[in-house]
Amino acid sequence: MIKAADSAADLVHGAGGDDHGAARSVVRVRVLRQDVAGGESYWERFEVSYEPNMNVISVLQKIAAQARSQDGRKVAPVAWDCNCLEEVCGSCTMLINGRTRMACSALVDRLQAESGDEIELRPMSKFPVVRDLVVDRRRLFRGLEKVKAWVPVEGSYDLGPGPRISPEEQEDAYPLSECMSCGCCLEACPQYTKVEAVRRDDESEADFEKRRKSAFDTGFVGAHAISQAVLFNAHPTGRMIADERMEALTRQGGIQMCGNAQNCVAVCPKRIPLTRSIARAGRAATVWALKKLFDR
Amino acid sequence: MAQPRVLVVGGGLAGLAATMRLAELGVNVDLVSLVPVKRSHSVCAQGGINSVNALTRQQGDSEWKHLDDTVYGGDFLQHQPPVKEMADWGPKIIDLMDRLGVPFNRTSEGFRDQRRFGGTLYKRTAFAGATTGQQLLYALDEQVRRWEVEGKVKKWEFWDFLGPVLDEAGRCCGAVCQDLVTMQFKAFAADAVVLATGGNGLIYGRSTMSMVCTGSAVSRAYQAGACYGNGEFIQVHPTAIPGADKLRLMSESARGEGGRVWVPRKPQDQRDPRSIPEAERSYFLEERYPKYGNLVPRDIATREIFDICTTDGLSVEKDRLCVYLDLTHIPKETLDRKLGGILEIYEKFQGVDPRVTPMKIFPAVHYSMGGLWVDYQKSASGGLLEGSLRNQQTSLPGLYAIGECDYQYHGANRLGANSLLSCIFSGLFVAPTLANVCGASAKAAGDHTRLFDAEIRRHEERHRELLARTAGDENPYTLHQELGNLMTRVATVVRRNDQLTHAYDEVCRMAERWKRCAVSDTGNWTNQNVVFTKALGDMFPIAKLILKGALLRDECRGAHFKPAFSMPGLTATDPEGKRSEAEQWCDAFEANTRKWLKSTIATCGPNGDPEISYQDIDTSLIPPRPRLYGLVGGDAIEEAWKDRAAKAAGQAAGKGQPAGAGA
Amino acid sequence: MSESSPSFLERHQFVIYRLFSLSGLIPVGAFLAVHLLTNASILAGDDGRTFQSRVDMIHSLGPLLVPVEWAFIFLPMLFHAAVGFVIIANGLPNVGSYAYVGNVRYTLQRATGMIAFAFIVWHIMQLHWLGKPFGGGKFDPHQAASTAATALQPTLTSILYTIGILSTVFHFSNGLWTLGITWGLWTSPAAMRRANVVSIVVGLGLAAAGLGALGGFRSLDVSKAREAEVWTEKQKRALSVPGGAVAPSPIPASTH
Repeated sequence: MIKAADSAADLVHGAGGDDHGAARSVVRVRVLRQDVAGGESYWERFEVSYEPNMNVISVLQKIAAQARSQDGRKVAPVAWDCNCLEEVCGSCTMLINGRTRMACSALVDRLQAESGDEIELRPMSKFPVVRDLVVDRRRLFRGLEKVKAWVPVEGSYDLGPGPRISPEEQEDAYPLSECMSCGCCLEACPQYTKVEAVRRDDESEADFEKRRKSAFDTGFVGAHAISQAVLFNAHPTGRMIADERMEALTRQGGIQMCGNAQNCVAVCPKRIPLTRSIARAGRAATVWALKKLFDR
Repeated sequence: MAQPRVLVVGGGLAGLAATMRLAELGVNVDLVSLVPVKRSHSVCAQGGINSVNALTRQQGDSEWKHLDDTVYGGDFLQHQPPVKEMADWGPKIIDLMDRLGVPFNRTSEGFRDQRRFGGTLYKRTAFAGATTGQQLLYALDEQVRRWEVEGKVKKWEFWDFLGPVLDEAGRCCGAVCQDLVTMQFKAFAADAVVLATGGNGLIYGRSTMSMVCTGSAVSRAYQAGACYGNGEFIQVHPTAIPGADKLRLMSESARGEGGRVWVPRKPQDQRDPRSIPEAERSYFLEERYPKYGNLVPRDIATREIFDICTTDGLSVEKDRLCVYLDLTHIPKETLDRKLGGILEIYEKFQGVDPRVTPMKIFPAVHYSMGGLWVDYQKSASGGLLEGSLRNQQTSLPGLYAIGECDYQYHGANRLGANSLLSCIFSGLFVAPTLANVCGASAKAAGDHTRLFDAEIRRHEERHRELLARTAGDENPYTLHQELGNLMTRVATVVRRNDQLTHAYDEVCRMAERWKRCAVSDTGNWTNQNVVFTKALGDMFPIAKLILKGALLRDECRGAHFKPAFSMPGLTATDPEGKRSEAEQWCDAFEANTRKWLKSTIATCGPNGDPEISYQDIDTSLIPPRPRLYGLVGGDAIEEAWKDRAAKAAGQAAGKGQPAGAGA
Repeated sequence: MSESSPSFLERHQFVIYRLFSLSGLIPVGAFLAVHLLTNASILAGDDGRTFQSRVDMIHSLGPLLVPVEWAFIFLPMLFHAAVGFVIIANGLPNVGSYAYVGNVRYTLQRATGMIAFAFIVWHIMQLHWLGKPFGGGKFDPHQAASTAATALQPTLTSILYTIGILSTVFHFSNGLWTLGITWGLWTSPAAMRRANVVSIVVGLGLAAAGLGALGGFRSLDVSKAREAEVWTEKQKRALSVPGGAVAPSPIPASTH
């Protein structure tokens, strides 16, 4: 009804008419696949029918439906993460034509214009691959824990309204609060490198969890977490534990790891002023360190 | 169980609100979610969250009026005590979210700013830019993360809820879930299980909902015996951007700023829309509703756009239904200033500049008003009794439902900016109930190890059976698409009994065909293929109850529109004739109310076929009255109705019955 | 990942990285600036007399010169280099995928840092007395201009010097800009842009001084310079003013 393709054959061979009349009736994709965590990776090519306004998600949906590689072999569908498909949930980050971005807002027409015929899909390289394009981004959320990215309220009971906040402060905070933890800033950051912990046979889940967290903490915490620390240190209640956040930001893997490549701000899909946050955090760290030195 | 423990399924606004409050009450929480909770569908809500506030109060607003707007907007199909309680909690909830750091837009004085939304006269809606849902969700996510660090909450992200576990007495004592990475099964023992798993838009194929909104968790609870309420009430948003993968919302403000809706008079005119002359365009909303033009109410806009494409066959495209929403006559600077953000979304996903080329839009399934039937306990003041074990409890004792997946707050139609409120409210409000359940079940706790083992085996068996199906001739993705297309055609905007009957049979056949679905991935590691196939199988029972509920409900109410049963306006022009027709109209309305002002309750029968019954609605606070928006002769009907209402009130007072006595 | 408790370096990572950042400016960067400007005095056109007097000024420190050199130049430089290598080793340049200006600068900063380090080691070995055991140490502070000019005559040497000087200057001026972000001196994009202009101006100035000095030495008339040095030497002996300071200078300005 809404779409005429009512059989698998239609999906594969492209019932959708190509309005542009161009030769582009198919989309070719090259996917870097990996069957299990820690397994070998390999390339596989796919071909799906072209439709106007397609994005990478709809390409992957078609691949899932046909479950065949370009040469006609039956293969398992490509695994990938996605949810909202409107660039607010942060799920579908992957390397598309070598660049980190959200699959939902990556339009096939534009990708073909930039890379020619074949679109290349790879999993993010800074996180352990779970399968195909699915990666384990727990380290990213650990970063939010580390910098205590929350307002330390005294319970959730009704204690009246929050603090008054000027429109300027709100406008300053709002963009930072739009961070959807997609991980683009981390993927593109040359200072952020992969940390992978593998559970040992003799290790309990709790012990492994602990070991993994401390492994995460040795690496760079990344632009997203620094920006969240800045966001909450600017909030009237949030800043009541500003020192704890500064302590976290100046521990191993803290703000000092930033190398000022400024890729984070260039690849951020929400255009969050991350380098401004980093510089502000840098200033706060300077003041905090001096205070610590002299107030001791 | 030594420690009180609750299993929360779903980490959207409702699930996180419940988790936060439970942790605060000292209850340990296992939080299971298909996706990292920060990525839940709540992030998609844009507009805002309603509550009475200091400003509107001085303009005559009150919690009572919020209640009134909500039940009137919902065509009186919801029990009123829970709605009253929710409206009463509104201001507290906004204050709380404000304290949690939600960057609400501010007035120049630094107070929260509010805007006006549909269905009310007051500026009740607090908002944070165009991403209020995202901001609210993040605030709760942050608090839950804090509790996670404290050790009160354990998150199980990328886990799928497979079904509740019921003990010998039929009480829910836990659930079986599956790790979507390792595909391992695990039974979670819990004093109570609460589902906060959102809507089921994927039953309609593509909708404005996220990919996790399959409704599978709710369906599994339903198939385990929980009742489902008001399934046929599905909200359709008039303007969404059709995409190959999903339908993305296009804010109503595009029409508010002067956007015009049209189609070419020649079906599927392939010319560039800008080159089609005015005379060959049909501005059908302006033609049919000269008074309101493009700004007719949502449901009417939805119906007309749908109708012009399906009945008149004037869709802009052949393969894909859509009409033009045209802003190109408005100066670019004006557009950038007033609509910049939303036009960027269109450009981002369509690759077309809507300032230059008319947008293509179509209505899209947006929200499930229906959901798991839940109980409540009314208080003496007409609201709810906090902490009662009955609040938000499904028909399975020990199993609770909150948020979009319950049926309780929005009746036949949801008002804009009320969903965020109902989610947070039901989440916070269920927590003391669950804490009390923990206290009560601590005494009665038994050893369920063997029960859990048996349930795990059952689910493993089903899983293995699916994996073994490699030879079937059905493709789950294609079948899903067929289901979605069918449901979209017959069970969204306009409903006809012949179509519904036919569609019901068709869905039954699809459910049979599903049994022949072959999985293309037989592995046991992050097997999204089998997880989807499983979820698809669980869509059919819900699809059936939606269709059956819609088929049986021979009336028009809220989002449920059946032209064959609509009540036409008045035809007489003279005052006397008008009055007499109005009286007849009111008689018919009262008769219809007596017959149909009832919740549809579905129970899952054999083969996933629903058994439908009806339950009376508690309208003790605000008596039902007709919704007359745009109806011919509406003022005459209103006058007649008011006279009746006054008479009825007089009689009630004469008998000395206090209105709204507590149950 | 390390199982053991964090090392000293890991525990004090913030302080170490901040000292690293600071050392690039003071004293290493400051020394670089003074050094290049001192050398540029060869362009005075007086057969190296001004240059010689600057060198003499430095050497007026006498026996203090060695500890001063180590404390304010060699050790900070070694510290900056050591930490720098750790940083480079832990980074993962990706300019191929993300060819943004900032990222190109990030990559260049690391490349030029390594070039600068190699260049400086060679430069010291070639001219400073520390290089004598290795057949270097060609610079004689009493015959400053002529020995320096002689050492810089080979074409290959001057090409390598050009690369070395430009790398060092880029590393310093770009580092100046990133230092301001690291310490939070400029935080907004607009302020960063302004600071960037300043750092470019500083860089161009120092590059001009450095390359100018190189050119100056190469075009120096060595025999005339030699004569001037002999004459100056005689004067100094006659006046028996050790070092021949003309005006007091607070900074040890050169290590030739």
